[in-house]
Amino acid sequence: MTPEQRRRNRITGLILLAIVLAIFAWIFFRGPATLGGVAIN
Amino acid sequence: MSSVTVDHVSPGQGQGHDHGHDDHHHAIPSGWRRWLFATNHKDIGTMYLIFSFIMLLEGGTLALLLRTELFEPGLQFFQPELFNQFTTMHGIIMVFGAIMPSFVGFANWMIPMQIGASDMAFARMNNFSFWLLPVAATMLTISFFVPGGATAAGWTLYAPLSAQMGPGMDLAIFAIHLMGASSIMGAINVIVTVLNMRAPGMTLMKMPMFCWTWLITAFLLIAVMPVLAAAITMVLTDRHFGTGFFNAAAGGDPVLYQHVFWFFGHPEVYIMILPAFGIVSAIVPAFSRKKLFGYASMVYATSAIAVLSFIVWAHHMFTTGMPVTGQLYFMYATMLISIPTGVKVFNWVATMWRGSMTFETPMLFSVGFIFVFTMGGFTGLILSVAPIDIQVHDTYYVVAHFHYVLVAGSLFALFAGAYYWVPKWTGRMYNEKLAKWHFWMTLISFNITFFPMHFLGLAGMPRRYADYAAQFTTFHQMATIGAFWFGLSQLLFLYTILRCYRGKGEVAAAKPWEGAEGLEWTVPSPAPFHTFETPPEVK
Repeated sequence: MTPEQRRRNRITGLILLAIVLAIFAWIFFRGPATLGGVAIN
Repeated sequence: MSSVTVDHVSPGQGQGHDHGHDDHHHAIPSGWRRWLFATNHKDIGTMYLIFSFIMLLEGGTLALLLRTELFEPGLQFFQPELFNQFTTMHGIIMVFGAIMPSFVGFANWMIPMQIGASDMAFARMNNFSFWLLPVAATMLTISFFVPGGATAAGWTLYAPLSAQMGPGMDLAIFAIHLMGASSIMGAINVIVTVLNMRAPGMTLMKMPMFCWTWLITAFLLIAVMPVLAAAITMVLTDRHFGTGFFNAAAGGDPVLYQHVFWFFGHPEVYIMILPAFGIVSAIVPAFSRKKLFGYASMVYATSAIAVLSFIVWAHHMFTTGMPVTGQLYFMYATMLISIPTGVKVFNWVATMWRGSMTFETPMLFSVGFIFVFTMGGFTGLILSVAPIDIQVHDTYYVVAHFHYVLVAGSLFALFAGAYYWVPKWTGRMYNEKLAKWHFWMTLISFNITFFPMHFLGLAGMPRRYADYAAQFTTFHQMATIGAFWFGLSQLLFLYTILRCYRGKGEVAAAKPWEGAEGLEWTVPSPAPFHTFETPPEVK
């Protein structure tokens, strides 16, 4: 694997990880309010 | 087009020791370190496959305990509380421990070899994502022995029941967190590998269908595993940290859990079936000696199934009291999925049409898959009709439906794939006679087990009950006999595959199947420890 390929892999991986964390955070903190619950606002 | 012409790779050339790199880099580790610190995609793939088969046996044993209790009406062996624990753990173990990891095992073994990459993109993360699984499996298994026993809330872990159980529930939540994290890491690895590490000339539309289906599956995993993680984290905080997400008395909503869970749960069904489509799409052309019919439409149909899977979740919740407009929307949206699925079935049949077909075991399992999975698809279509679903909700009809999809679908494809690629993995051909016995015993016993469940469900037999009215006895006894037959048949599979791993059987050629196509068949059998360190040129 070339250094350039490693760099591209790392960037792609970090973008995907950010998407995962964003979905988790949105569901946990905003999902209940958006879907009608009032446990956390 | 999916077919590839390899420019300069001939059998044997894809292996690693012919490039003059330093020996330290190429040394094959030995002993326990080889497995504990494994970073080679083939070793990790093997560990995934072994792990998932062990979990299949554990989940299968739980299923046989359930069927033993259900052989006669009344309570014979287990109290309902323990029965519910068996039901729940059977589901969790099969979904998260057996089916999902087995497909990750196939992905690890085959994706780098099919796209001409030397390994997965993140080799150390690959190791970590595997080793989370035995830890999670241990937590699940020991949860039977904590006060109150294992979780008994069903594999869906519905609140508020899941918010009220003993410490076994916490262990299940942590175990599912670990398995979810493992799946997310595996998905990131697959996406990055496929997008960034394909051999020169291997465009996306030249990739084998297995890689395509796994790429789409990986995006599904990225999108929905965090949703499951959030849902069970909310259950955890409701249990221990004073929140009230699902507690109506605290202003929460138990139905919210079902919405969040099924937003994960329905795509999860496709996570467990899309890679199976990929395996069958490799095998049917190989044994029909034709190219896959409608390659591009297969790719688009797979993508369409994935997109539609996000907008149909509430068809699992027709009985929760949603407005009629909501029911209509989810009913019609669900029915839409039959169109891309029909495209795939049509394409497989069209591939076979006028092909020069032979019926070695991988093909038998693939044809069995197409026939029996389609039956599961049809019952899914019936269940999508809201008025019918309301009648048969939580009955054995649903149990029959999803076992036709997940056993005859996912598991049959896994068997097909194992027989198809085991010569590449081990360098030995499996015993065709034993494998055919395995197929026929599996097919017949599967239908004896699950076909009567349609009638049980239509007659009103609810799922997850340890006891039943005497009128259901005959069908339950058929199902129990079939289940034991099915379970024992899998020992034939174990024996057949182990023979190959122990070096017994005919030596396999680099390309043992006349009609097979793809880069994996350009390397020797068994595949060398390192392959494609110099990427092949694909034309």
